[in-house]
Amino acid sequence: MGLLNNTMPANAVTNAVDGAVNWGRKSSLWPMTFGIACCAIEMMAVFAATYDLDRFGAGVPRATPRQSDLIIVPGTVNAKMAVRVKRLYDQMAEPRYVIAMGACVCGGGPYAKWGYNTVKGVHKIIPVDIFIPGCPPRPEALLDGILKLRENISRDDVFRRRRDTAQTLDSAYST
Amino acid sequence: MGMNEREIHALLTASGIDGVGGLEQPDLDPTVVLQPSALVEVMTLLRDDERLAMEMLHCVTAVDREDRVDVVYHVCSFARHHALTLRTSVAKPDDADESWHPEVPSVASVYAAADWHEREQWDLLGVHFTGHPDLRRLLLPPEWIGHPLRKDYVYPSEHGGIPLELDAVPIYERDEREDTPPVAEPRPAGTPLNQPPSAPSARPHAGGKAPAKKEGEG
Repeated sequence: MGLLNNTMPANAVTNAVDGAVNWGRKSSLWPMTFGIACCAIEMMAVFAATYDLDRFGAGVPRATPRQSDLIIVPGTVNAKMAVRVKRLYDQMAEPRYVIAMGACVCGGGPYAKWGYNTVKGVHKIIPVDIFIPGCPPRPEALLDGILKLRENISRDDVFRRRRDTAQTLDSAYST
Repeated sequence: MGMNEREIHALLTASGIDGVGGLEQPDLDPTVVLQPSALVEVMTLLRDDERLAMEMLHCVTAVDREDRVDVVYHVCSFARHHALTLRTSVAKPDDADESWHPEVPSVASVYAAADWHEREQWDLLGVHFTGHPDLRRLLLPPEWIGHPLRKDYVYPSEHGGIPLELDAVPIYERDEREDTPPVAEPRPAGTPLNQPPSAPSARPHAGGKAPAKKEGEG
């Protein structure tokens, strides 16, 4: 994730910087203002006062993909829409995260068998970090998904070089 | 208050329009059966006769019955508080294939609401409404092939590069297999340290070639 990933060996400095950068990233997740179908209604409830996503720093939906870190895909992705979803994702800057919200986005849902123009899960188009099944999922489920994403981000390696990558590189340099 | 379906049917029969058939299922869901040729004349009468005053066309829909295609119309009157269902059918010839389009006259000249309803039926069932002002697809992309609600429809595996099958390989995995090497490449001398070895410009074979532009950029 990102150009900086795995560029330096693990040491006390990079570990500390990792922690700081990850804390910054997970505490100011900016989702894109983007909704497709009925799941978007539940997503709006999460942004609103009752569930108050702003408690976790993700309550500022951005109006452009270029300012967003997170795209929540809420609703059936069909052949026409898939092209647009892909284009929006491509315009987002790294690091970027994807949440697939709802049964349709996780694998076609009710359209899995006879949906003639439904993409059977948005993971056929863009890589997904968190899947949230449900038709639609409760707002609590989306909150839980975002908390899970925060956990994932806090384990991310920003500068630390992973052990296998480091070994491959070291053996390459020594020859 | 308004008329019931039997009374409306009697009025239509007495009007002398050719092609008005019987009243189907009079006790359950009364439906007036019409010949396609009578459609425009009957719809005009329903709208303009002051005893009927059907101002609104709710819905135009179609059904593939294998041996025929039905087109169903729902009209109602707010002024008179009554409603009516009408059906017309086109028999399917024995040698009909996917390119066969049943022909029914358009009622868009009588009810403007029929315009988009008929476009939807053209889109999903391939009913050709003769005399329609602008018979294009309404819901599916314009380059779509076939009419998906027909019984003989063949399901597509992809559309314009977007996979539509349940067990399709994700497109980004497909790209990775073709483009990127499976293991990390050694970092060539002189590469800036803040760039991972997999970045396009750091690859030896990428040479002077500019990295491919992402779709949607610029």
